[in-house]
Amino acid sequence: MRIRVWPTEMMIVVSEELETRVRAVSHKVLRAPFTRRTWSELWFLVTGSALAAVGLAFVALTMAAGVVFAITFFGLAVIGLSLRGARGIGGFQRQLARGLLDEQIDDPDPFVPRPGFLGWLQTVLRDRTGWRSVAYIAVKVPLAILGILTAFSVWFDAFTCLITPLGGGYQPKEFGLVPVLFPPGYLSIGSPGWLHGMAIVCTGVILLFAAPWAVRLVVFIDRRLMRALLGPDAVAVRVRSLEHARAQTVDASAATLRRIERDLHDGTQAQLVTLAMRLGLAKEKLADPDHIDLDQVSKLVNDAHRGAKEAIIELRDLARGIHPPALDIGLEGALATLAARSTIRTDLTFALKDRPTPAIETIAYFCVAELLANVAQHAKASRASITCAQYGRWLRLVVRDDGIGGAQLSKVGSSSSGLTGLTDRVHAVDGRLEIVSPPRGPTVVTVDLPLHA
Amino acid sequence: MTTPIRVVIAEDSAILRDGLGQLLVDRGFVVTDAVSDPEALRRSVERDCPDVAIVDIRMPPRFTDEGLRAAIDLRRRHQGLGILLFSQYIETRYAAELLADGAAGIGYLLKDRVADVSEFVEALTRVASGGTALDPEVVTQLLGASRRLGTITVLSAREKEVLSLMAEGRSNAAIASELVISEGTVEKHVASIFTKFDLPESQSDHRRVLAVLRFLDS
Repeated sequence: MRIRVWPTEMMIVVSEELETRVRAVSHKVLRAPFTRRTWSELWFLVTGSALAAVGLAFVALTMAAGVVFAITFFGLAVIGLSLRGARGIGGFQRQLARGLLDEQIDDPDPFVPRPGFLGWLQTVLRDRTGWRSVAYIAVKVPLAILGILTAFSVWFDAFTCLITPLGGGYQPKEFGLVPVLFPPGYLSIGSPGWLHGMAIVCTGVILLFAAPWAVRLVVFIDRRLMRALLGPDAVAVRVRSLEHARAQTVDASAATLRRIERDLHDGTQAQLVTLAMRLGLAKEKLADPDHIDLDQVSKLVNDAHRGAKEAIIELRDLARGIHPPALDIGLEGALATLAARSTIRTDLTFALKDRPTPAIETIAYFCVAELLANVAQHAKASRASITCAQYGRWLRLVVRDDGIGGAQLSKVGSSSSGLTGLTDRVHAVDGRLEIVSPPRGPTVVTVDLPLHA
Repeated sequence: MTTPIRVVIAEDSAILRDGLGQLLVDRGFVVTDAVSDPEALRRSVERDCPDVAIVDIRMPPRFTDEGLRAAIDLRRRHQGLGILLFSQYIETRYAAELLADGAAGIGYLLKDRVADVSEFVEALTRVASGGTALDPEVVTQLLGASRRLGTITVLSAREKEVLSLMAEGRSNAAIASELVISEGTVEKHVASIFTKFDLPESQSDHRRVLAVLRFLDS
């Protein structure tokens, strides 16, 4: 029964979908000549073309002058001015695109010349943004001519056709694109009459609804052009992201040093000061041989002894936190130690063909250490597993537990500086950290790291 | 027997706070309170009016110089309260800030100094009774960084020793016993230092500390 019903339902669904889509498209086409977008695109075509024409005149003149005088510094300076100007015109174009087309093109890096005239000259002549703006202006002008010709011929023809009946015997001129779109002489076929008039009006209507799309096509090409030549270029974007990553690394290592200093200051140093104080007190008590209170002295020495042992343990933990000695025997051994030390039963699967660089091994180790600590503290899990595998030049670490789930990046980590700091370090080497932890579990944390960084 | 000196301890490390408390009680001080943050210190001073406060410079919430800020604040509000700043590091800038309002009843010591119990107790007593106790490290740093090196080299080796001890806030008698010389000799050295530095001679110990420090720091 169900099988027979199914296709019919499908049919209905499909036809309904089709109907909505057809309705949407026709709605769009019918409304196009009257939307704000159509008119602002047309306005952009006009103003942008004017700007490009001015820009081309400026660039051509200054470049020509620059080349003529190129044997002197003066010529180079003129070329520099030309590039600065082109950059400015590019900026205006972006503003226009933002205002009229709602096209958000990011600003390229600002022009920061090095000090002195020679510095300025060097910077400006090597300014990729300036040269790209020149390229844009050079390509934009022919595009603008083509665009204006297309747009205005279509709009113009549409209107002349539509007003034909009003003008009585007026014969519309074939202008611009019309002879291309329709057979030559189409509008003058036959003698003027009722049918002929209708054909002309229908042509007008078709052209009216086609006109916005002609403009849109030209503007579309311009949008692509602007995005390619007026936005920040790919190299600059990469440089910026690397700068960001570097800043994060610097911050992260500064934070690590600060944490180590804090741990030393609050832990070991305080322990040692107290230890020295107790021993000092004991020493002074022993210095007066007539009134030695042995109970007191032995208590002081006992406390000092206990303090010394605690300080040793704290120092060892701290040293291990800076560089785990287990890593000296390799990542596999270090992870095995972590798995064995975990309070929850933890299995390790390790399959790396190549040995990662020490920095990557350290990050991988601390990720696993932090994640296992987190599992032990929050997950209420009975089992956990660590998988460390190689995919080409990438190392993939997966830490999985069968606990209650619901872990989030902001909450994961045994300490505030724990996993957040690690995420920064993972990002700094172009790695990735992902947590999948639905309520009721299981939690799967995946860390991808490049083998060599 | 004189009335015992009343002390409040502000130190965020519990182990050091307890140890210090035991030491002071053992040495006949009265510990009115032992707190771990600047807010509690303010309340405690308000309530108990102790003679002297031992203040750790680095305390919650930001662990930078909260203790110093609290100390400067407390001094403005409570005349006669001695302040002994207590730190793992010596920063001359902190010393300068602390001494800006005068050196009476001010101390600034490295935490390590508690290892020499008697000297520490003596310094604390001095601060409690309106004197000055600066860590030798403060003096060394000031001497090392001073632009008056030309003037300092004019001093004899003995005079330099006397200068350092004087800058720490010791009295002539204490300097004399430390260097195993007579008090009269100390007075002669002090007078000679002040002449060489071209400073007006000052009677009270803490005034002359300030004069010397200002001279070195200028």
